[in-house]
Amino acid sequence: MFLALREIKYSKLRFLLIGIIMILITWLVFLISGLANGLSSENASSFQNIEATHFIVQPNADKKLSRSRISEDKWAEIQKLSSPGGVTPFGQKMLSIVKQGTDHKIDIAVFATDANGFLAPDVIEGKKLRNDAKNEVVVDQSLSEKGIHIGDWIQDPDTDQKWQVVGFTRGQMYSHSPVVFMNLHDWQTIAMRQTAETTTYYNAISVRMDSSQINVLQSKVKDIDIISKEDALQNIPGYKEEQSTLNMMMVFLFVIASFVQAVFFYVITLQKTSMYGVLKAIGANTAKLTRSLVVQMLFIIALVIMCSIGLSYGAQALISPSVPFQLEIGTMVLFSGLFFVVSIIGSLLSLYQILKIDAVEAIGRVD
Amino acid sequence: MSGKVVLENISKWYGEGDTFVKAVDQVSLHVNKGEFIAIMGPSGSGKSTLLSIMGALLSPSEGRFLLDNQDVTKLTKNEMAQVRLEKIGFIFQSSNLVSFLSVRDQLLLVSKLAGKKEKEAKQKSDQLLERMGLFHRRNYYPEQLSGGEKQRVAIARAWMNDPELILADEPTASLDSKRGRDIVEMIAKEVKLRGKSAIMVTHDERVLDLCDRVWKIKDGQLSEHVTAHV
Repeated sequence: MFLALREIKYSKLRFLLIGIIMILITWLVFLISGLANGLSSENASSFQNIEATHFIVQPNADKKLSRSRISEDKWAEIQKLSSPGGVTPFGQKMLSIVKQGTDHKIDIAVFATDANGFLAPDVIEGKKLRNDAKNEVVVDQSLSEKGIHIGDWIQDPDTDQKWQVVGFTRGQMYSHSPVVFMNLHDWQTIAMRQTAETTTYYNAISVRMDSSQINVLQSKVKDIDIISKEDALQNIPGYKEEQSTLNMMMVFLFVIASFVQAVFFYVITLQKTSMYGVLKAIGANTAKLTRSLVVQMLFIIALVIMCSIGLSYGAQALISPSVPFQLEIGTMVLFSGLFFVVSIIGSLLSLYQILKIDAVEAIGRVD
Repeated sequence: MSGKVVLENISKWYGEGDTFVKAVDQVSLHVNKGEFIAIMGPSGSGKSTLLSIMGALLSPSEGRFLLDNQDVTKLTKNEMAQVRLEKIGFIFQSSNLVSFLSVRDQLLLVSKLAGKKEKEAKQKSDQLLERMGLFHRRNYYPEQLSGGEKQRVAIARAWMNDPELILADEPTASLDSKRGRDIVEMIAKEVKLRGKSAIMVTHDERVLDLCDRVWKIKDGQLSEHVTAHV
């Protein structure tokens, strides 16, 4: 501590510069992680919040709900074999709609489900979804930013189908679009009109069961694939690609940050070789010098992380709400921990230098 | 009479076969309490190797080195570091102060390394700096000091843990003759005052009169030198 802190105090500028670089890098990591979180929730909050444990899809649908078709007959078969309330059909379609009376198109995701089933949305404003009502929808509240309010009618300009918005729900986004919930009756008109099929279909059957029940179902019903909620989430169009791009950026930033720090400490350790020689000569053992270096490093990284977290929350407050940005405490803690780990690994290079220094060098020359 | 510092038939060699070099050859030396001796020799004579052995920095290939009745030659590296910390005070050629520590912290570092109490260390460092005429400079950094002042700080640092032996490696090398003489006088005075031993390796003949005995080293062999001064 004695040496570590006094050196930082003496070489303020040097440590300030490296500190700023480290702060910028860690800040960027936190910003990207915030963006990744934000995008992931904008992309798929409906699936992150969903109460299903699994989805039953068509085997050749490549785990993609949009490609999967479950017929009415199959649904009846599954329903017979499952406990009541454990399964509910799920229809999903991407649509472009307009608010009636305007011609500005808005992309939405239609989710069709049993209004009494476990996929039915919690309403934060207005009325709940009902099975016996016609052409009523509950929509994600982000549509209110687009000028759609309770009581408004929305329509599909291609088919002129119309629905009335009766309630708002929250945290229901799918593939970057707000979700519009409708009952299964209204779904039939969409499913049948927009495809050549004559009978209705569902994209999937949502399941809320434990794994033993799942295994039973899988063995008894032919031609179905049961995928986990996580699988379904990863296979939302663009989700995996988006997240893996951002994750790759963060991995690179971690590598860069650890190298920048390791090189910095390596160079200043090299510069101090003669000083370490003298300190060893006057009786400092390697353990004490190592402790000094590690304390210095941890002190700096702790300050850096605190500053970056502060800046990240500052940025969150300043960024406009329309930007998908969301900081999560769990992720921040994880990344801060990772930064500590990479900086300790980075310090090994410098530790090796300290170990190598021979106290005899302090004498100047050895004959 | 057995002294504070006893070297018995110390030899140090490097390499094998064609590269075999005997840096120190059968050196025996006694330094008593309160005695200040000088070792002179041209470069390549083995005096730095000898100094390194006496400083518990190098283990001799052969022979015994007793410091304050403790056999230093049989110690591990960490034990040697401990001996250096507690029993030996070094004064290096170019003071070798830690650039980012203030004058006072240079001294406190030594007691900190030895795990001594801070309050006592502060009193002690202030006393030492007072005696070296450096008290007014206690918050200065090495770069703000003159060469003589730096060397005085180095002397104060060497005394900080109350060592039995002071080793000075050409302490006057970077100083003019007046300042060089002042520095050596200071070492001599402290040695007498505290009843400790000091060994100085030097080229500087002008300060030999301040030493009790002068030895010459040539090709690794030590011999007592008789000068008009002594």
